[in-house]
Amino acid sequence: MINKSNSRINVCLAQTDPKMGDLEKNIENHINIISSAKNKGAEIVIFPELSLTGYFLKDSVYDLGVDINSDEAAVFQPLYKISEELNITVIAGFVEKDADFNFYNSTFCVSNGKLINVHRKVYLPTYGMFEELRYFKQGDGFDVFDLNGVKISVLTCEDAWHLSSSYIAVNKGAHIIIINSASPARGITAGLNKFNSTNMWEELLSVIAFYYKCYVIYVNRVGFEDGIGFSGGSCVINPSGNIESKMDYIEAEEIITELNLNLLNNERFKTPLLRDENLNLTLKELESIIDNNKVK
Amino acid sequence: MNHKIELPKIDELNFPLIYKHLGNFIKSEVLKAGLKSVVLGLSGGIDSAASCFLAVSALGKDNVTALIMPYESSSKSSIEDALKVVNTLGIKYYVSDISNQINEYFKNETDETERSENADATDGIVLKLRKGNKMARERMSILYDYSYKLNSLVLGTSNKSELLLGYGTLYGDTASALNPIGDIYKTQIYQLAEHLGIPKTIINKPPSADLWEGQSDESELGFTYKTADDIMYLLIDKMYKPEVVISLGFEENIVNNIYKRIKKSQYKRRMPLIAKVSERTINIDFRYLRDWS
Repeated sequence: MINKSNSRINVCLAQTDPKMGDLEKNIENHINIISSAKNKGAEIVIFPELSLTGYFLKDSVYDLGVDINSDEAAVFQPLYKISEELNITVIAGFVEKDADFNFYNSTFCVSNGKLINVHRKVYLPTYGMFEELRYFKQGDGFDVFDLNGVKISVLTCEDAWHLSSSYIAVNKGAHIIIINSASPARGITAGLNKFNSTNMWEELLSVIAFYYKCYVIYVNRVGFEDGIGFSGGSCVINPSGNIESKMDYIEAEEIITELNLNLLNNERFKTPLLRDENLNLTLKELESIIDNNKVK
Repeated sequence: MNHKIELPKIDELNFPLIYKHLGNFIKSEVLKAGLKSVVLGLSGGIDSAASCFLAVSALGKDNVTALIMPYESSSKSSIEDALKVVNTLGIKYYVSDISNQINEYFKNETDETERSENADATDGIVLKLRKGNKMARERMSILYDYSYKLNSLVLGTSNKSELLLGYGTLYGDTASALNPIGDIYKTQIYQLAEHLGIPKTIINKPPSADLWEGQSDESELGFTYKTADDIMYLLIDKMYKPEVVISLGFEENIVNNIYKRIKKSQYKRRMPLIAKVSERTINIDFRYLRDWS
């Protein structure tokens, strides 16, 4: 159980290499990781985007969709069960199907055996190597949910590239923004010991954490799908914008790291950007932008 | 860090990551195929040497087999260089001379039997090209036979420059199950090779397909790989239009020539076209990754 009074949470970042299209194998792997994380004191285990299915699914989206509010959710029962037995929170990615047969790139949060949140990815990249809009429907918002007094918001990969997403999340009260992703490694630069895509991510995560004064937990996957390698590098960035824990760019591994939420108190007092944020001004400007666009 | 827009160099800082990345690619795709080993053709050139070094790093020396497949006109130094790779890495290899098959097939052919309607035909060149293509396909055919015999995947050895320029034989040297260096330009292959520790004689010799005596890639192409790679990096990786690349100071006729070559050889980089008849057609709207299996 997370206890806000001591302001510390043990989080496990599970940087996995999901097996393409194999729900059963992936569930088994999730369970193994959750058990071992619990033994090491983790209270939350976070997996990457589409961790239960793999990423470049193409037509197999059709075969993997699960309506989490119907009997089909039974397939995830082993995960609910272990969450309840071990009194632990699990955040994992899956293909969601709704009652009207729309598919979503979704992430569930199950805590102590109960489903407490589902985030449907809002910004679905459909350019370059990506074709998510071909298969998935867009989600319609960014929730903030309460985990024993700690406010959490989940953004999935491309969601985080739109700075408005994290703006909404922190202004809705998020202390921790969890970003799960399946980001392909791409682009090299002389003199840089990481892929360009990784470099962009690290800059972005640091900006979100520092300017929105929140913890950012980034969990990216590794492994290859048809020659495309995912760039790992999962990490925790604190509200000072500093990387607290960082994982390998290539290997599957897990780390357990302790977040000290006192740092939020400290940073938000010293640099009260959120306190001073003028939501009315933003709203007024947004309305005028939308109005102007309508005229055009 | 260098912010000028130019072909990025593989250097001592990014090499460790690229090395590990390519090794993991080979390992992961071979394992997913339910196998543990690869077979590849070693020409004595830098590309196949690079693929071979990467394969050994990924799978271990016992899981990589090299085939050396000389033709009677292949230069002696090519065979020596291929053996240098084999010996440096300590891998198994086979030598299969392809002269008999090629000569038998072409024994009644002379330059007079060339197909005159071939637009590129100049005296004597068509038979030479046909022989070169036939050799490349003979080698492919042997590699795929060994693939079955050794229960190994065929590892590709074509670099990004030659794939883009179409400087390879369809179903010949461009055929493979997986290719670790197909997204790396020739200029970068040299940098990669330095870091991989590939023998110097292989790195220092001029690039050649070695399909006939004295053949040189760069004199055949009419430009150097360095120039082509700088241009293709802007055209392909950066999506600059040819006129923009020219405006940056590159020679107009070379840019246009390269762009034309890339377009003209698109068919070599795709699967055969299938006429759509049904409601769900392979690779058109029957869409899965190869890893789906």
